[in-house]
Amino acid sequence: MTPETLSVRMTINGAPVGPVDIPEDLMMLEFLQEYVNLTGTRYGCGQGVCLACGIILDEDDGTSRLVPACITGAAYLDGRSVRTVEGHAARGPDGQVTRLSPIQRAFLEHFSFQCSYCTPGFVNAATVLVERLERAPVPRDEVEATVLAAMDGNICRCTGYVRYLTAVRDVILSTPGLTRGSDPGSRAS
Amino acid sequence: MKRLALILAGAAAAVLAVLAVVYLAFTGPGDIPPATVDFDALGDEEHADLVARGRYVARAADCVACHKSEDGLALAGGLPLETPFGTLYGTNVTPSDDHGIGDWSADDLYRAMVWGINPDGSRLYPAMPYASYHHVARADVDALWLYLMAERPVDKPNRPAELTFPFNIRPAIAFWNLLYRPDDPGLAEVAGKSESWHRGRYLVDVLGHCGECHTPRNLAYARTDAHLEGEVIEGALSPDISPEGLVRRGWTPEDLARFMREGLSPQGTMTFRMYPVLEHSSRYLTDADMTAMVTYLFDGAPGDGQRDPALAADAPPRQEADLPPEGRRLYVGLCAGCHGTEGEGHPHASVPLDTNTTAMLDDPLNLVRIIREGVPARTLAGEERMQAMPGFADRLDAAEMAALANYMRVRWGGRPGDVTPEQVEDIAEAHGG
Repeated sequence: MTPETLSVRMTINGAPVGPVDIPEDLMMLEFLQEYVNLTGTRYGCGQGVCLACGIILDEDDGTSRLVPACITGAAYLDGRSVRTVEGHAARGPDGQVTRLSPIQRAFLEHFSFQCSYCTPGFVNAATVLVERLERAPVPRDEVEATVLAAMDGNICRCTGYVRYLTAVRDVILSTPGLTRGSDPGSRAS
Repeated sequence: MKRLALILAGAAAAVLAVLAVVYLAFTGPGDIPPATVDFDALGDEEHADLVARGRYVARAADCVACHKSEDGLALAGGLPLETPFGTLYGTNVTPSDDHGIGDWSADDLYRAMVWGINPDGSRLYPAMPYASYHHVARADVDALWLYLMAERPVDKPNRPAELTFPFNIRPAIAFWNLLYRPDDPGLAEVAGKSESWHRGRYLVDVLGHCGECHTPRNLAYARTDAHLEGEVIEGALSPDISPEGLVRRGWTPEDLARFMREGLSPQGTMTFRMYPVLEHSSRYLTDADMTAMVTYLFDGAPGDGQRDPALAADAPPRQEADLPPEGRRLYVGLCAGCHGTEGEGHPHASVPLDTNTTAMLDDPLNLVRIIREGVPARTLAGEERMQAMPGFADRLDAAEMAALANYMRVRWGGRPGDVTPEQVEDIAEAHGG
C-alpha cells in the first residue's frame, strides 16, 4: 500500500519552503534532512525522549516551544513556522556564519559539549528558555532552578550537563531583561 | 405543646435505644477462630518459613499499595486514598509500638482484617477492604502477622482521615457493616470447580481484593452484585474484568497472565492505580497462582464468537475514508512517530494501539486522561520497560482531543466516535484543568 501523499509548505528559519509533496506519515526530522537538506537536527532515540532532535516551533501568539522532530509528523506542521540549529547564527551574503547566537557562543566558551550529538537540541531548548524569559522574567535567585527545569528533558552522554547548564545560566544572568530583582519589593521589576 | 415535645423526646429515645441495641448486639466482631500455630513454640526454621509465607500473603493482598508512606517506605503509612467522602490515609502497619501495630496480637490482626474492628473496638473505614479480606484463611493471617512483626518498626505517626460530615462519624460504620459486611467468614466450596478455580477465587476476591476497584458500587459505596464489571474510582475507570468484559476486549488467559506478571501485553500496559499492583503484588505471584487467577477470571467466558464483532480479526477493515479526518491528521502528526502509522507500536518503548483495550471502553475517561496527561516512564517486571509518553494537554484543545480520541475509538476500539469536546472539558476540569 503506497502511503498517501500530501502537499506541505512551511517557514523554516524564516524562509518559505514548499509546497513539497511528502508521504502523510513522514516525520519532521526526515523532512528536514531529506527534503530540505538541513542535516543539523539529530536522530537520537527516535522516541522523543532524548530531545537531540528538538526544534523550535513558533506559535501564532508569539511564543515558542521545543518540539521533538523525530516523532512529530511533517504534515502536522504544515503552514507553521519552525527554527532549527541552522537558524540561530547571523550569516553573510554567501550563507557563511558571521556571528553565533549568545547561547551558541556560551556553549563554546564553556566547552559545554564533546561529541556534540545532543547540541542542536540543547541550543534550541536553551533558546526557547531565553525567549520565554524575555516575555516573563524570573527573579535572579530562581534562575538556577528555572534552567534545570527547562533543560532537564535534554539528554547528554558526554559532559554531565554541568557546563551546559552553567552556560545557559550565565547567558540569562548577563542578559538584561531576562531576570528581575530577587526581592520585587525593593527593586523595580 | 409540652406533651408533644415529651412524645417526640420519647420517640427519639426509643430510636436511639434500638440503635444502641443493634449496635451492641449485631455489629461487633464475630467469631475469631484459634490460631493455627503455637507462636511461642516455633523453631527458627519454622518461624522463617512462616515469615516467608506471610510476605507472600502480604504481596498477594497488596498491603503496600495503600500502607506505604508518601515517600515509598513500605508499610509505614501515609499514602492518600481519595474517596467521594474525603481523603483517607493508609495507616502505619509496621511493628512500631507508638504508631504502628507493635502491640497487636494475631487475633487483633484477624479481627481487623475479617471484621473491620480495631483492638480498642473502634471501626475501620471500609477503605480497608475487610469486606473482601473477610474470607481470609486464619493460617494466612497467622503467617502475615509473623511477617509484619518481623519487619523493621517505623515510628511515623498516622495521619487522621479528612472526611466530610456525616462520613466522619466512625461508630456509624457499624451500621454499614450490618448491611454490607458479610456474616460468615467461610467461603463455600463450589461443586464441580477445580482446586485451581477455588485458589483463583481466593486470590481474586479475597487477598487480591480486585473487586474493591473493579466492582460497581452503590450509593452507600458498597460493592454491588455486578461482580467485577467495572467502576470509576479515584478518577480512572477500573475496567470490566468479568469474563464477558475481558473476552469482548480481546483478552485471553495467557495474555492476562502475562499482563499481571510483566505489566505489559498486546492489550496494553498498566496505568493509574493498576501500576502499583504490578509493582507490589502481581509480579510476585507464583505461576500456579497466576494460572489459578486467570482460571477463575475467565470461568464462564463466552466462546470466540462472542468477542466484540467490531474487533474480531475477520471484521471488515475500517476504511480510512470512514475515519474522522481531523483525528487522522492529529494521530499521524503527534502519535504515529511512536505508536506507528498502523498502531503497531515499538517494542520496549511504546505500546501497540491496534490491540490496546483503552479505546475499547465505552467510557472515554481513561483514553482522554492518558492523551492529556501522558504516562511516566515505567520499569516493568523482568527486563521490560516503557518510555515516557508526553501529555498533550497543552498542545490540543478540547475539539482536537475529542477528534483524536474518536479516531482511536473508531479505528481500533470498535466504539462509536461520539466523544464530545464538552466531555473532554469535563474530564480536563476534574483532572488538573
